[in-house]
Amino acid sequence: MIDFSQPTPVILSEVRQLTPTRRELVLNMGPQHPSTHGVLRVRLTLEGETVIACDPVIGYLHRGVEKLGESHRYAQFVPWTDRTDYVAAPSNNLGYVLAVEKLCGIQAPERAQYWRMIMAELARLASHLVWLGTHALDIGALSVSLYTFRDRELILDIFEKFCGARLTTNMMEIGGFSREIPPDLPEMVREFCRYFPKAIRQYEDLLTENPIWLARTKGVGIIEPDVAINYGLTGACLRGSGVNYDVRKAMPYLFYDRVEFDVPLGTHGDVYDRYLVRIEEMRQSIRIIEQCLEQVPTDGPLMAYESQYVIPPHKNVMTTAEDMQRHFIWVIKGFSPPKGEVYHAVEHSKGELGYYIVSDGSPIPYRLRIRSPDFVNLQSLPYMAQGAMLADIVALIGTIDIVLGSVDR
Amino acid sequence: MSEPRPVPAPTATSPWDTTGYWGPTDPEQHPAVRLVRERFPDAFREATVFRDEMTIRVDRRALRDVVEFLRTHPELRYNHLTDITAVDMLYLRERPRFDVVVQLYSIPRRQRLRVKCGVDDGETVPSLVPIFAGANWLERECYDMFGIVFEGHPDLRRILLPEDWDEGHPLRKDYPLRGYRDYVQPGFESPAPRIRGTLRRPGP
Repeated sequence: MIDFSQPTPVILSEVRQLTPTRRELVLNMGPQHPSTHGVLRVRLTLEGETVIACDPVIGYLHRGVEKLGESHRYAQFVPWTDRTDYVAAPSNNLGYVLAVEKLCGIQAPERAQYWRMIMAELARLASHLVWLGTHALDIGALSVSLYTFRDRELILDIFEKFCGARLTTNMMEIGGFSREIPPDLPEMVREFCRYFPKAIRQYEDLLTENPIWLARTKGVGIIEPDVAINYGLTGACLRGSGVNYDVRKAMPYLFYDRVEFDVPLGTHGDVYDRYLVRIEEMRQSIRIIEQCLEQVPTDGPLMAYESQYVIPPHKNVMTTAEDMQRHFIWVIKGFSPPKGEVYHAVEHSKGELGYYIVSDGSPIPYRLRIRSPDFVNLQSLPYMAQGAMLADIVALIGTIDIVLGSVDR
Repeated sequence: MSEPRPVPAPTATSPWDTTGYWGPTDPEQHPAVRLVRERFPDAFREATVFRDEMTIRVDRRALRDVVEFLRTHPELRYNHLTDITAVDMLYLRERPRFDVVVQLYSIPRRQRLRVKCGVDDGETVPSLVPIFAGANWLERECYDMFGIVFEGHPDLRRILLPEDWDEGHPLRKDYPLRGYRDYVQPGFESPAPRIRGTLRRPGP
């Protein structure tokens, strides 16, 4: 047992004497620090208040999700994708089921694809709201987080109506959706779309021309376009530097080629531009959702039932023999995709989320790799932190938009 | 009562075969395959296609040169490193043991490409950090999870696991799912009881 009467030795920092006039301080920021968005530890080397070197230490939330994926059947892994980036769980579901569907060579029906788009865009909004609230909270604008979390509740209510869960939704299935859309859900989403632009204006009133916000974000953490490409950044970190790469536009999946939306680009590549890009992305998401609600068929199949790779409809399982057998085999043994390897990427709220699956023809993936966007994006933190002030580090961590569940996997 | 429906067998053509995001599906017409084979006749191994995805397999010693060529050639310009990972091929073939998989993307041409090289236990792969700064953490993760050494990497150490982890590399296929040792929580004398067994992959 732990002896609590003994004092615990805590080493917070070490001071190195370089020369009589120059001193370096090594400071551990995190892993239990409110502004590191989870269990990120940043090892900072400071001279006075200037950051000389910065080394992010990650892995505190490593659960071996890839190894778990290689020991679960294909359909069993969908709930695990929720746990990687838990603030935008439907986007993770989407990336995984699309990769498996590509591997199997099946496609969900049109109606399911539209509802997947709507749910993925709502997840993007929910993720951006968490990012905006915490990012502003780190820099000192406390009140924004109250408003963003208030509006995120509306999105979580829609998720709850749709699938029964709020955070780890597990809503998408291989082949589409096996449950019917609740009849009052479209009206609920429409009402949210009517309300939300007002909320965005509210956030912008609080931040966009706020002199303190401008002083803390403008000219901080600049990434040049060629550096951003060289670091492999994706998402708003790349587009904030002015590089036009959005997976939804460059390689449209689902029906992103049927809806109109713009890809906002920054010019300076600093924290402020990435903030503006994400705010504009929220407006474009609302545009996408509104167009999807107009185009989506009101009835029709939600699941690609005629395939051997998807679970048979529940009603048929109870009434027909062959569907009962299919269901039994699907649940007990799983399905076996053809041998091969696929990589499928979707535009997650943080960047390009890719799933690389190697199949050996067995019901368990031979290799399942998650290319999480914020793991790659976090690499640019030492570049941005060079010569920055200590107080800017919280702004830089916030602007990358990390979720440690996704970084550590 | 619904009509009994026969389940169709999977067909060769699927909606995913014609998306065209990976260039032509015929290796002879793919510019990257053609140019790499011309420039590196000794290192080029094969080009394979599954769904619409083009994979080039090269010799491990030439990996950096091939990726640099793909990045700088004016017809190709694969300038965005999407991912570096590895696959333990223990149950699929004799040797080499691992495949290092590099996913590339060309922002101006909007095309993907996958470059692979086989590497055996104890062999090294040239690091891609001199070409892409973003390869740094991806290669560290590869080393951490598989034990593949990248030659010329500036800072090759574990990234996700603790630096004093002494139980090998967990994504290797011979590494048990629950690890080699039972974990005893601090303050307890014995490991926590197992609630249920885990799914086992059938052996080779």
